[in-house]
Amino acid sequence: MLLALMKKELLALSRDIHGMGALFIMPMVFIIVMSMALKDVYTPATKSLAYAVVNQDQGKTADKLIERWAVEAGAAQSLPEQWQDEVRSGRLKYVLLVEAGFSKVMDDLASKGEAKARLITEPGLDNSVFATNRMRLLAIAAQLRVEGLLAKLPRKFNTSALSGDAPVTAERMSVGPRPTAVQQNVPAWLVFGMFFVVASIAGLFVEERACGALSRLRSLGAKPWQLIVSKIVPYLGVNGVQAALMLAVGVWLMPEIGGEGLSLQGVHWGALLLMLLAISLAAVSLALAVACLVSTHAQASTLGPILNVLMAALGGVMVPLFVMPAVMQKIATYSPMNWGLEGLLNVLLRNGDVASVLPQVGRLAGFSTLMLLTAFMLFRRRI
Amino acid sequence: MLAIRNLSFRYLTANVAALTEVSFEARRGEVLGLLGPNGAGKTTLIAHLSGLLPMQSGDITIDQQPLAAVRARQPTRIAVAPQEYAFYPSLSVAENLACFAGLGSLSGSDKKSRIAECLVFSQLERYASVHADRLSGGLKRRLNLAIALLHRPELLLFDEPTVGVDPQSRAFLLQAIKQLAQDGCAVIYTSHYMEEVEAIADRVVILDQGRVLIQGVLTELLNASGTLLQLAVEGDESERLQTLLSPFGEVTRQGAGVQLTLASRRSFAAVIAAVNAANLVASHVRFGHADLEQLFMSLTHHSLRD
Repeated sequence: MLLALMKKELLALSRDIHGMGALFIMPMVFIIVMSMALKDVYTPATKSLAYAVVNQDQGKTADKLIERWAVEAGAAQSLPEQWQDEVRSGRLKYVLLVEAGFSKVMDDLASKGEAKARLITEPGLDNSVFATNRMRLLAIAAQLRVEGLLAKLPRKFNTSALSGDAPVTAERMSVGPRPTAVQQNVPAWLVFGMFFVVASIAGLFVEERACGALSRLRSLGAKPWQLIVSKIVPYLGVNGVQAALMLAVGVWLMPEIGGEGLSLQGVHWGALLLMLLAISLAAVSLALAVACLVSTHAQASTLGPILNVLMAALGGVMVPLFVMPAVMQKIATYSPMNWGLEGLLNVLLRNGDVASVLPQVGRLAGFSTLMLLTAFMLFRRRI
Repeated sequence: MLAIRNLSFRYLTANVAALTEVSFEARRGEVLGLLGPNGAGKTTLIAHLSGLLPMQSGDITIDQQPLAAVRARQPTRIAVAPQEYAFYPSLSVAENLACFAGLGSLSGSDKKSRIAECLVFSQLERYASVHADRLSGGLKRRLNLAIALLHRPELLLFDEPTVGVDPQSRAFLLQAIKQLAQDGCAVIYTSHYMEEVEAIADRVVILDQGRVLIQGVLTELLNASGTLLQLAVEGDESERLQTLLSPFGEVTRQGAGVQLTLASRRSFAAVIAAVNAANLVASHVRFGHADLEQLFMSLTHHSLRD
């Protein structure tokens, strides 16, 4: 009986073209599009930003500044005639303008000149890139000034150390792969895609109930628990296929289309499978609760996606948690999608093991239990 | 075969009972017409027989065994062909049959041959690979019938099986249902269409407001319900006609004329004589047994389709 019911469920799902599209194509497209779109948020490509130099000074210090700038920012483009228009329109990302008298101001502390090295950027330049460039310019100017001062002292110092590696460093505390757009987006949209079974299950269930097939199954002796389990197991399988497909997209497809590849190096597979199972169970349980709650196909096809989008927006799927304000980050901890995403990030970014994902697995298991109980109670009343 | 004794049921949220002390029997080899207007309790009764509602009071037995025990051991002894198209629209006819066949005890070659038999019986062989949602209304009803027959049920419940079908499909379905009874099934047939029930039912049970109003062999019930005389006269004389005929039996106004229920056919001559003596000129006369619709109206004072 159970096997026949599961077979029927998979057959019905395979005929639901829209449902299949939502389950497999949509998250795949999201992974590709969002990874490419957010590529620079995680790894700002400051070296690839098109810029030009306006050197009105022509002094030695100005030349040094421009030379050192190029070490970090890459070679400058030739200066267009109407460079202000080019910057305003964004075709040039910024211009490094060194005003006449800059070298004199830098070399002579007693000088009263107000000449500056100015960074003029396009209006839409990302805030973090803007701030990074500004700080880099300040650092180079400070180095040049210190070098100039030291050169004036009677005792000679080795100033080359100033322009080399400073005795400071900044690095991420991580044992796993570097956080990239792909590393964030694959788990995020995988969780989103897995929860999209809500719309599919609810739609098929309502149709089954409305056409009387469910009553017929009951009259043929199918018990409520059999009907519920027969829906859970096939969709756990569907979620499994989704996960394999999305990880494959991250690992193999993304590098082929110009993105960074998803790294599974050092991943604890047991922890990953446990997280995927917990997410899948939560998604299918929620789907069954929604399916038993709604009365019409229209309600199912509205409520399912709304719940999904809300949970995704609040849970850090659509917008990474770290860019949210504190209050939103607090709210995010109530979204089951956030539990799933945090658990997957634990495994994929921090090489977390089974013990490290147990808090998320526990929350998802609790949520699943609650949803299944709700579904079971509603199911008995509905039939 | 099926015996229902004093079955009563009230939904949790309802103020009145859906069924009150309902008792009747269904026998192998006969079609039992279950009639009643909307809200009479037919669906509740069928839901009990389908195992979809728990019993609150009364007994239902199949061959002297409690229904619950029979359903627990062999639920496929009873089959329902519900009013809705109770199958999967995205699956083909053959896939639907295979799906429901797999839920019972059928398997392997037995399952295949039974599916083929049901396709032949319901004349759906040509449509085996067609998706159910592309079938016409009549073919959908045939698929509903075919699915109900898969497990060779002994008791078949048909709930308005001809709603929305063309005359040819209706004739086919009625013939097929009659055939099933002749082959030894017990058939319970609910419908709003009186002429259908008159055509195929051997016995009828009429329900109203959850109670059995009357039950018995159809012909006996119709004979016992008296003889009807429908009479209209020329001119605006209906009121005088009603007064004139009231000593002969129950008189009700019906359009431009009246309907008189005669206790005996022998009164007919006396009625006509009275009309002549009153100088009334008959413009329409109809005389004969009451039909099922009239029987129902005489019992409930409202139409079956209300």
